[in-house]
Amino acid sequence: MTPEDFDRLQTLLLTRAGFRLTRDRINLAEHRLGPVARREGFHNVEAMLSSLWSKPVASLGWAVIEALLNPETWFRRDRAAFDVLSGELLPALVRARPGGRVRIWSAGCSTGQEAYSLAMAAEEAGAAAEIVGADLSQRALEKARAGLYTGFEIQRGLSARAMLRWFEPDEDHWTARDTLRAAVRFERANLLDDPPADAPCFDVIFCRHVMTDMDPARRARLLDALERRLVDDGCLFLGPDERPEADSVAFRPVAGRKGLFVKAPTAARRAA
Amino acid sequence: MRRTSCEVPTSGGTSVDARICLIVDDSRIIRKVARRIVEGLGFEVDEAGDGAEALSYCTAAMPEVVLLDWNMPVMDGLTFLRRLRQLPDGDRPKVLFCTIESQPERIAEALSAGADDYVMKPFDGEVLQSKFVEVGAA
Repeated sequence: MTPEDFDRLQTLLLTRAGFRLTRDRINLAEHRLGPVARREGFHNVEAMLSSLWSKPVASLGWAVIEALLNPETWFRRDRAAFDVLSGELLPALVRARPGGRVRIWSAGCSTGQEAYSLAMAAEEAGAAAEIVGADLSQRALEKARAGLYTGFEIQRGLSARAMLRWFEPDEDHWTARDTLRAAVRFERANLLDDPPADAPCFDVIFCRHVMTDMDPARRARLLDALERRLVDDGCLFLGPDERPEADSVAFRPVAGRKGLFVKAPTAARRAA
Repeated sequence: MRRTSCEVPTSGGTSVDARICLIVDDSRIIRKVARRIVEGLGFEVDEAGDGAEALSYCTAAMPEVVLLDWNMPVMDGLTFLRRLRQLPDGDRPKVLFCTIESQPERIAEALSAGADDYVMKPFDGEVLQSKFVEVGAA
């Protein structure tokens, strides 16, 4: 891969996904693109990229983008957030919503561990939750839908009791039981696109460790999109070290709950 | 018993009890790998090569955490665990089974015998750390 190839990859990731591909990732990029080149029938990475630059094909472009995103996730990552959700938020929401129906969005769900952890937390709290996982990467979503995890993945963040309750062994993998899979729906979404006008709103949004990998100039747009998908007084969970831009009036932090923000009512903001 | 001689960390002049993890496995290599990870989590590590050795260790002083293999000579992990839980204060240590067994029935058996959690081999630092967090030992 030439330095010029890497420059163009940076631009591609930035314009399509808002993703900041830092220069120290050049070796990682080369390593990750190898399998993509083989899968797509190219001799090597350079041949694939030169084809992409000369006649851009959308599907190839997205395959390249997907391979370079950061897929890292695990069950109950930053577990305090899940404890706040099942111990405090869900009991209140279940009382407030007709039929106890609560809608939760895992925005940037990668391979699905977060969305499934949300489903477990909802069950624990006795909430009839509708959980939607969304991600840019089709390959990550395929894995999420299959609910199939390696021994390393299944044990990272999940107790043995939870593992036995929600998963069953499948050769040397563990697969989500039907009840768990049925509790979550996965769909492709670009969080930087304008949501469709009829897109439903959520009571709670988990969007963690997405902002950190984004170009700072795109973060406001992400926050704006999240705000539009959240009901008034709805809750947004960011990563424990992430926060909206300082001048955001849409979200206010919750004291003592790292990474948790509440959406200020739209009407109140208009009046202000 | 393979007692290490590392100094107990102290803070502000007050002596702090060392957090001790006993690693019980008949494989010296597994003990060595696990030791490196567990020390990274802030524990002082002692080792035992089978259940009987581990039991006599615990009779003298209870560790905070026991990382326990299943199949070992002399006394296996499950027998050790059942006897440990009978000892005075034997309910105190957090016991993490750490074995190649991955059948749900065996995992359930270990949990019902009093294991706090269960680690399937192979494992890595991230898995072990998350299991320590799970049992409230990290």
